[in-house]
Amino acid sequence: MRKFQALAASLAFTCSIPLALAAEGTVAISSPAEGAKISPKTDIDLVYDISLGDKGDHTHLYIDEKEILTLRNLKGSQSLGTLAAGKHEICVKVVNKAHTPIGPQKCVNVNVEA
Amino acid sequence: MFENLNYAIVQLVHNFGAAAVVGFPVLGWYISGQASPVLRKFAWVVGLSWAVQAMSGAGFGAVSYYYYQTFPDLHGVAFAALLIKILCAAGGVVIAVKYLRQSAAWTPKRRRSAWGLLSLLGVTALSAAAFLRWYA
Repeated sequence: MRKFQALAASLAFTCSIPLALAAEGTVAISSPAEGAKISPKTDIDLVYDISLGDKGDHTHLYIDEKEILTLRNLKGSQSLGTLAAGKHEICVKVVNKAHTPIGPQKCVNVNVEA
Repeated sequence: MFENLNYAIVQLVHNFGAAAVVGFPVLGWYISGQASPVLRKFAWVVGLSWAVQAMSGAGFGAVSYYYYQTFPDLHGVAFAALLIKILCAAGGVVIAVKYLRQSAAWTPKRRRSAWGLLSLLGVTALSAAAFLRWYA
């Protein structure tokens, strides 16, 4: 019985290790800033820093909930070109190999003013 | 850990299904000049393989939904590729069933056309899979 308990305890400990060490992904967008006011003639550069975590595989970039492209680099900048006048939401989401958003994401709202 | 295992099992089934929906029709097309009873077996395999492809394809979405309560996020080219794959699967099942039910009355030329069409559907779906993978 004592052996069984020791085995169960060691199994529980072993199984808990991956959970304890599982790294969550993170997404940081340093530009544009939240609430930035931008001219419709200005090219927008997205500056980002991403950590995929254990389960992430790549990231999707969205503008107004529409997927624009896949960010292949984890850190850097991506030109978004110009945006039409109005409010826009720019999001970066970490997805897994099946292209499913797994949680980590960052969105910024910008206002393109004529 | 089980998440990756579940995705891998679905992928494994999908990969073998993909091999079957291309390989058997091409072989069937190659030997379709002969009145071979093995062609009926091929038609069974192809029809069932397309059904497996549809189910395993849905399996990717099911695993995603189970773990993240959302489906894979596909837009633009990737979404179009997915629709093409679904249409190929539907077409593959229909042609395979028609072959099994009616091919005894078909001319050799028509039987050969059926295998050619099944080959085309398999190749198209396999090609679409590449765009689905890299445009998503």
